Amino acid sequence: MLIASMKNVVFGYGDSPSLENVDIEIHSGEFVAVSGPNGASKTTLLKLALGLLQPWSGTVDRASRRGDGKKLVVGYVPQQIAAFNSGFPSQVLEFVRSGTYTSGSWFRSVSRQDRELAEQALKQVGLWELRNRKIGELSGGQKQRICLARALAQQPDLLVLDEPTNGMDAASRERLYSLLGEMVKERQLTVVMVTHGLSEASPYLDRIIELEKKETGGWKCCTTTSCNGHFSPVV
Amino acid sequence: MLHYDFMQRAFFAGGLIALVASVLGVYLMLRRQALMADMLSHVSLAGVAAGALLKFNPSLSGFGVALLGAVVVEYVRRSYKTYSEVSIAIIMIGGLSTAVVLMSMNSGISRSFSSYLFGSVVAVQNTEIYLVAAVACIGALFFYVLRKPLYLITFDEETARTNGVPVNLISLLFSLVTGMIVAAAMPIVGVLLVSSLIVLPAALAIRLAPGFTAALWLAMLIGLTGVFSGLTASYEFSTPPGGTIALTLLLFLVAGIGVKKLVIKWRKQHSKLRRKVGASGQNKLLEHAGISQEPPVIH
Repeated sequence: MLIASMKNVVFGYGDSPSLENVDIEIHSGEFVAVSGPNGASKTTLLKLALGLLQPWSGTVDRASRRGDGKKLVVGYVPQQIAAFNSGFPSQVLEFVRSGTYTSGSWFRSVSRQDRELAEQALKQVGLWELRNRKIGELSGGQKQRICLARALAQQPDLLVLDEPTNGMDAASRERLYSLLGEMVKERQLTVVMVTHGLSEASPYLDRIIELEKKETGGWKCCTTTSCNGHFSPVV
Repeated sequence: MLHYDFMQRAFFAGGLIALVASVLGVYLMLRRQALMADMLSHVSLAGVAAGALLKFNPSLSGFGVALLGAVVVEYVRRSYKTYSEVSIAIIMIGGLSTAVVLMSMNSGISRSFSSYLFGSVVAVQNTEIYLVAAVACIGALFFYVLRKPLYLITFDEETARTNGVPVNLISLLFSLVTGMIVAAAMPIVGVLLVSSLIVLPAALAIRLAPGFTAALWLAMLIGLTGVFSGLTASYEFSTPPGGTIALTLLLFLVAGIGVKKLVIKWRKQHSKLRRKVGASGQNKLLEHAGISQEPPVIH
């Protein structure tokens, strides 16, 4: 099933485009990495796919329903969350539980199932012991992990991660990639992840989308490489 | 004190507004919009001046203009995303300058204006009571029903958007509720100090509370205690209620921060002492068992 696609997408922040002629297809159950040098518009690409930015031209489509007709749930872990810096007065478990605040649950109180999902997600990222700590007291790597736990508590169908391993040690990175790989296989979760650690992540990846600088105008375009041979390059 | 009608009205209106204003303050502080209350109160003053000039109820005209200001600030905030405080400065200048010009055109209202500037328990009439009761109901309903999307938006607007939260709509409603609360609080604490009722309880609660929900409850408790203590002190010492409430809340803040620092210091010393006692106790045990504490020498 096609989860998201971009056709001939052009986008920029100033007068000139930073992304040009982008063609990407993301299928259900794929683990895709987005790679490229600093300033290559990797985050912009994710935001376009999520509908947080609108392209200058071209089309961006994202499935709103799953194969069984239920609403497609999207989990997003951004690169930087400004609220962490001001000492947001929330406990770790309270924060992770907010992942279950999906649109259908706004007007009811937190259910037992919501609590269990949050607890499970926090255990999956290995931070259950810190559940009563304030989120502002955590290290950079731990903050990334609780953001991931919050996204996992949503039980997403599509998980979009922007450099999720920032500030993590090697063991935590390995644990994260392995966890994601497992979820992709078992739950048909689709993961799109911006990362600089391709060598560590590659055993679990299906595909790498690489952003390259265009020789003519200094703009970027995409090339797609298949990792495990399951998917042929789109471009 | 409470056998006077005007004090009963002031306690009733002050208590209700303290509860919703304190909750509002927590959200405003965390969304980095703490000055928004101050700005809306200045804008609201232009409405009060216009109402007085046009022989219309100043409280109602102030209320209307505060709502208008709340809508405008939300749209200007979206235009100046990186410098959101610029939108506040722009609208505050517009509101205050309009108020000053309108006041100069109506020389007979300077006395009643001081009650709007500094607050007055006598200024709380039936119109204000109904206004405060309605605003408190709307505010309480808004903060309770939308508590989950508000948490998501307050933490991060982008992730809230991907969760399906209609961020723009809820932000606009939030601005409108802010305008309502500010305008309703004005007769009691006054234009110049309305932000104290919103910001100070929240500032202390955020520092002391262990979690988000706890911060909201604690802010309400601090706000309510501050307003009741301030009104009592205002009656006893014949001082303006706005200033007295603001000073009481400021005192709570300073005392709260001081106590928290002392507790942290005491905890540090206590854990240091425990470590020392633990280490010396361990040493005595080792000595008793005849085990050397010298590190082994590797040849």
